Amino acid sequence: MPAPVRATSAPRTIAGLPMPSPSAVRQALLIGTLALLIVLTLVPILFMFYSSLKSNSQILGSFWSLPSPPQWENYGEAFASIWRYVLNTILYAGGASLLVVGLSAVSGYVFAKKAFPGKEFLFLLLLAMMMVPGILTLIPAYVWYEKLGLTNTPLAIIIAHAAGGQIFGTFLCRTSMASVPSSLFEAARIDGAKEFTVFARIVLPLSVPILATIFIMQTVGTYNDYVWPLLTIRDSSMQMIGVGLTQFTKQFGITDKGVQFAAYSISSLPLIVIFSLGMKYYIQGMVQGALKM
Amino acid sequence: MRKARKLGWAIIALCLLLAPVSARAQTAWNLEQGKSVTAMAMSPDGKLLAVGSSDTHVYLFDEAGKQIAVMKTGNVVTSVGFAGADRLLASSDDRSLYAFGLGGELLWKQDLKKRVEGVAPSTDGSTAAVTVQNSSELLLIDPADGTTQGKASLGARAADVAAAPGGGYIAVGGKDQNVYLLDGSGNVLFKAGMNGTIGSVAVSDEGRVAAGLTTSAVVLLDRDGGKLREIAVLDSVKDVTLTPDGETIGAADYAGHFYLISSSGKTIWQTQVPAPATQLAFGAKGETLYGGTENGGIYSYDVENVVAGAESAAAQKRIVQIAAAAAALLLIAAGLYLLKKYNRLSVFKRIWQAKWIYLCLSPAFILLIGFMYVPALSGLYHSLYEWNPGGRSSFVGLANFRRILSDDYVGKGIVNLGILIVTGLLKAIVPPLFVAELIYHLKSKRLQYYFRTAFVTSMIVPAVALLLIWQNLYDPNVGLINRFLEAVGLDGLTNSWLGDPKTAIWAVIFIGFPFVGILQLLVLYSGLIGIPDELIEAAKMDGARLPRIIRSIHLPLLAGQFKFLIILTLIGVIQDFNAILIVTGGGPMDSTYVPALQMYYAATKFDELGYASALGVSMFFVILIITVVNMKFLRSSQE
Repeated sequence: MPAPVRATSAPRTIAGLPMPSPSAVRQALLIGTLALLIVLTLVPILFMFYSSLKSNSQILGSFWSLPSPPQWENYGEAFASIWRYVLNTILYAGGASLLVVGLSAVSGYVFAKKAFPGKEFLFLLLLAMMMVPGILTLIPAYVWYEKLGLTNTPLAIIIAHAAGGQIFGTFLCRTSMASVPSSLFEAARIDGAKEFTVFARIVLPLSVPILATIFIMQTVGTYNDYVWPLLTIRDSSMQMIGVGLTQFTKQFGITDKGVQFAAYSISSLPLIVIFSLGMKYYIQGMVQGALKM
Repeated sequence: MRKARKLGWAIIALCLLLAPVSARAQTAWNLEQGKSVTAMAMSPDGKLLAVGSSDTHVYLFDEAGKQIAVMKTGNVVTSVGFAGADRLLASSDDRSLYAFGLGGELLWKQDLKKRVEGVAPSTDGSTAAVTVQNSSELLLIDPADGTTQGKASLGARAADVAAAPGGGYIAVGGKDQNVYLLDGSGNVLFKAGMNGTIGSVAVSDEGRVAAGLTTSAVVLLDRDGGKLREIAVLDSVKDVTLTPDGETIGAADYAGHFYLISSSGKTIWQTQVPAPATQLAFGAKGETLYGGTENGGIYSYDVENVVAGAESAAAQKRIVQIAAAAAALLLIAAGLYLLKKYNRLSVFKRIWQAKWIYLCLSPAFILLIGFMYVPALSGLYHSLYEWNPGGRSSFVGLANFRRILSDDYVGKGIVNLGILIVTGLLKAIVPPLFVAELIYHLKSKRLQYYFRTAFVTSMIVPAVALLLIWQNLYDPNVGLINRFLEAVGLDGLTNSWLGDPKTAIWAVIFIGFPFVGILQLLVLYSGLIGIPDELIEAAKMDGARLPRIIRSIHLPLLAGQFKFLIILTLIGVIQDFNAILIVTGGGPMDSTYVPALQMYYAATKFDELGYASALGVSMFFVILIITVVNMKFLRSSQE
């Protein structure tokens, strides 16, 4: 799309028309450079899709040519071997994200709008954990989950992500809910609304954007997890997609590169769905997280 | 502040109270490396200790641990026992029973055609009970010449057999979870069911039977099969033994504990050695206890001394506990008094009023403490241990940390980490800033939005898939990079990028080219948007051109964003080993190791969890220092 823009604007300057100001040239250059960078950024993804439609001999023999005929059956074979991983991952990510949203909403509201003894201490306890990097807890957590008998069960993934994700989630919720004017709650309480009603009817609806942000950030985070499931899940039938992608070729004896690339493409589908529904929230969450530091 | 200090002291005091007090063995010696103690017996006069070993030999030691004689059998020694004052019997996995004189000479050898699982001679030398594999019969053998005197049918296969010193009783632990007591001539006196698999049995002259169960319990039975005591121990029992009078039980468990238990069921003494315990034997009158372990360690304890020591230690512990309880009560009282004095008792009322709030927070904090704090603290704690979950962990102080300093992989990893950090910082700042400026300077708001979105689109591929794709791009034969170099005529530059130790780390760094990180881009872009237009306008009025505006307005005003990205990158790069684990696994050779990868391997490949924890703790402290330095100094210099 940007290429024609350059094509039309550049010659105009060379022609020396009166109006094509230097700024128009500059804009064209900007667009051209950005387009080039985007193409370079997307090369691996394009290569993935391109190769996913080829057979081994097509990749070896005619590396640069278009896949002809396109090997759509690669997708069938790839789907048959990795659908289980994708499904597991969606379920774990969904479960963990729902937990995180629930926990964060409640804790965030309590920390934002309630006064109670020990509030500062408890919040500090929560905040301090944000300073603790995953590298410290990885191995001891594995031993601990093993001791509790949680390894090799979906709970290992769900609990770990819920426990870790709620910290930042609570933090985001607290900031967001603190900006809701308390007079709104007071009015409802005067009208006789119970605490739960206030929470469910006023706080939650007002917090939908932040909750969506938390949900999407968490889902993407869990979907991309690799080392934790590698450590804790042993059964292939419970494995997640990240680990699955590194293992399915051996497990199913797949030697076709095309099928591998098709599997990578399929594994992107859930993320495509998430981003097309909530890209805005994701970007918001990332920027917000960055600005809060 | 004062209160905090007081609390600190209290915690330190508490830690000191809880610290394990380890009793030392009085004397200890070792079989050679790699040998395991498989059998142990004490001579009737208490002067000689016979030790059967996995290396097919029976060693004879005197009380001081001096080796007197060595006897050789055909295979792993399964059991030894003294028969009278002049000989000892040994069973071996070579299906034979041996009798040796005390000088080490072979007296006779009897081939029993089946694997001999145990031999239990009475120390007076009158008889010996022998069990063989897959047989429910007990053979009674004459220690004088090895002839079979009689047989006793049990109806179950035997796991262990023991004879009373006087030869009056024989006890058998059956694989059917029953304990059998027989008289000297092989008549069954009773059969008593246990609620666990029997690992070992022992019997005294009065017919008292002790049985050690794999369910971590020791059971004491009287002569008629009535259960006198059941004593819980810490791990699966490997061996039990009784003093001749039957008043004291010795037990050894898999976690390396030795116990002395009185006939009243009280554990009077226990200690732990650094290997699973396998065998135990009392000296003739029960004044000495010998213990053997799987790694060939032999320990001897003076029973009277250690019991006295244990009693005084227990008394001490009780005093300390009482003192601690009193101190705690005193502290609580003092706290209450202070609250009352300053009229703050209402805090309890407020806590009670807020009970629903605490209830709402409880799930979050149970998860936080149970699954975040516990592992974090466990990591800090166990970095000082040789950590064997489920088994015995021993305190090693800072040895794990010293080992980090001398670990070549960590050394190589730190060099690589340095390269990764420098390039990581460049990657995190330069390309995203460049792209952010480009997008920022686009006139059309719509184009700005499109380009931003286009860069974010690269997120649709899962991180692992992207790494695997890059691994493919680097493939020496069918990889895009080499094919591209060939296509543009640069055949000479093609390389096995990930397979060459010289290029591997750079190939890993190059993953993600052109490095337009989405988070970085968005942060810098929103930083640029946040710069007030008036500033730029004013600069333009003063005649500033674009490079000057970027240098003097953009860059200084983005300092906060830069700081954030730098910290984020430092923390991220130190911790991240996903890419290396997936793409190179640390190889070729050690060329792409990083400390975090070494931590992962220490835990998963080599089971060195304490060492892995120490690596994690070290990286945690580095990150902590970075964060603190950032918060303390960078912020103050900026403001």
